[in-house]
Amino acid sequence: MTALSVHILDEIRELPGKYPQPRSAVMPALDLAQEELGHLTPEAMTEVAAALELDPGYVEGVATFYSLFHLEPIGKHHFYVCTNLSCALRGANEIIDHVKQEIGVKEPDEVSVDGMFSYEEVECLGACEFAPMMRFEHRYHYDLTPAKIDQLIAASKGEKLLPTRGEVARSAGGAAEKPKPKPRTARKKKADA
Amino acid sequence: MPELRGSHGDSPTNVLTRWFGTPDLHTLDVYESKAGGYAALRKALLDMAPADITNEVKTSGLRGRGGAGFATGTKWSFINRDSPGPKYVVINADESEPGTSKDRYILENSPHMLVEGILIAAYAVGANQAWVYIRGEYDEPYRMLSAAIEEARAKGYVGPKPMGKDYPLDIRLYRGHGAYICGEETALLESLEGKRAQPRSRPPFPAVKGAWGRPTLLNNVETLVTVPWIINHGGAAYAKFGTDKSPGTRLMSVSGNVNKPGVYEVELGQTFRHVIMDLAGGIAGGHDLKVFWPGGSSAPVLPASMLDTKTDMESLAAARSMGGSGGVIVMDDQHCIVRAAYRLLKFYARESCGKCTPCRIGGDWAVRTYARILANEGSQVEIDTLLRLRGLGDRLDLPALPRGVRGPRPETRMQRRQGGYKCLTSTSPSTDTSSPCLPAL
Repeated sequence: MTALSVHILDEIRELPGKYPQPRSAVMPALDLAQEELGHLTPEAMTEVAAALELDPGYVEGVATFYSLFHLEPIGKHHFYVCTNLSCALRGANEIIDHVKQEIGVKEPDEVSVDGMFSYEEVECLGACEFAPMMRFEHRYHYDLTPAKIDQLIAASKGEKLLPTRGEVARSAGGAAEKPKPKPRTARKKKADA
Repeated sequence: MPELRGSHGDSPTNVLTRWFGTPDLHTLDVYESKAGGYAALRKALLDMAPADITNEVKTSGLRGRGGAGFATGTKWSFINRDSPGPKYVVINADESEPGTSKDRYILENSPHMLVEGILIAAYAVGANQAWVYIRGEYDEPYRMLSAAIEEARAKGYVGPKPMGKDYPLDIRLYRGHGAYICGEETALLESLEGKRAQPRSRPPFPAVKGAWGRPTLLNNVETLVTVPWIINHGGAAYAKFGTDKSPGTRLMSVSGNVNKPGVYEVELGQTFRHVIMDLAGGIAGGHDLKVFWPGGSSAPVLPASMLDTKTDMESLAAARSMGGSGGVIVMDDQHCIVRAAYRLLKFYARESCGKCTPCRIGGDWAVRTYARILANEGSQVEIDTLLRLRGLGDRLDLPALPRGVRGPRPETRMQRRQGGYKCLTSTSPSTDTSSPCLPAL
């Protein structure tokens, strides 16, 4: 039993051929591993190393250098909030405070109790004219306000169909249906941004 | 289409951004039919010898827009076109200098402009394959550039016989994974080769031994998107813009406490007063300008009294700063320069690649020293420590980070005594503007 599924390992073995030298495949391979597991476990890195015929220590050395590789579990929805100068001058620290409060964590990379959310303070994301901004669900979100954060959190919960405590109580009473997913909120956000 | 905050449309100095804002400019059809796209590629491949292309770029006087400002045509001519074996063009799209968003602006608005520039450059230096190293966080630009390359491939512009010319051209993408140091060209090459991104010693220069040990041309996104215009209109026409030593226009990302943050195309030699007060609409909220970083956070900060400094590289060097990446960060008098310096130093400490001791240890040391000052535990000892660290950075020959370790100049650090500040990095910011947030040292 491997940490990574067989088809992912097959895909990783195909990667080196796409580059002038095979070693360049290490980061795309780690990407695939992280995509499957959510973060890079030591077992996953060892399996990547074996598939690429590299030393496990070498692969781990690469993974620890780059900030987009996560070596610890993060939430299913991870906020990458820019707090560098251009964003800080326009309220990024207030956004961080709000995110922490709403997802119920105290520090970066701490995962919320339900496993849904985490955040980190990242360096400049190169969209300074839209400050304060962040990256969330592989998309940039601009001109952040606490209300926009609330909408995104609500939309993320809706997509996963996780009922609130009140909804559980109601459905136990046999009255209400589960709420429909609300991915539209997230898409509308993109149009706004 | 993404919202445009910055230059677009018809203006005498909109060399790059003339067609930005045109609906569907990111598609090959519109880029070709409305914006006259790929005419330069056709001209270069069918009517020009490679050496003529390089000479035209030399004539234009174009200088690299990534930060160092090296003469682009000269860089191209370093590659021996006739040497046997593969050569590469590598495009630095790892934009990560704080306060800089111009390459993202280009990629999201006109990705084909980059594709065209890459193909011309590759032909000029004798490369058949180009690699775009794009920063990992740039999801949308990555999607748009991938789509543009596929469109160009379907049309045959990328492929075995572009424009019918028997000269195979290919473009591949490689995604970064979050490391500021990859903006430095040799660190980027290490990363492209699947290693930890630590800069190489030079020589050998990338033109001799670059990506995968082969001769390599490395250019920034903005540099290459300027090339089609130069081929279409001639290098001499481009050199009419700007100053003698810094010809042309450049994109400046203006951010921070201004009314209209945006990416503005500026003719070099214009003043920062024009950029900040006119283009970006002046300081927001009726406050006054305190300082601005003229070329990304690595460019030494300038006080409000130097607002009439010009944007060309020579004027900025004379002002003891630099043009850098063109990121203009504007800070008003409601914010504390010490806290701003502390935030930037945390960035440099965190992003140190760890190769050289002054940066690896010094960055962390500077952060802790600033933390003591911010905790009201500062004294002359802390000031002396910071001045010594500045000296260490100055003496180091290797690349980018030590500049940032320097922190602000002593004279700007003193400005906090003028009072009326809001804390920038504290999680519970003091909004008391009646007195300085810190006692004078």
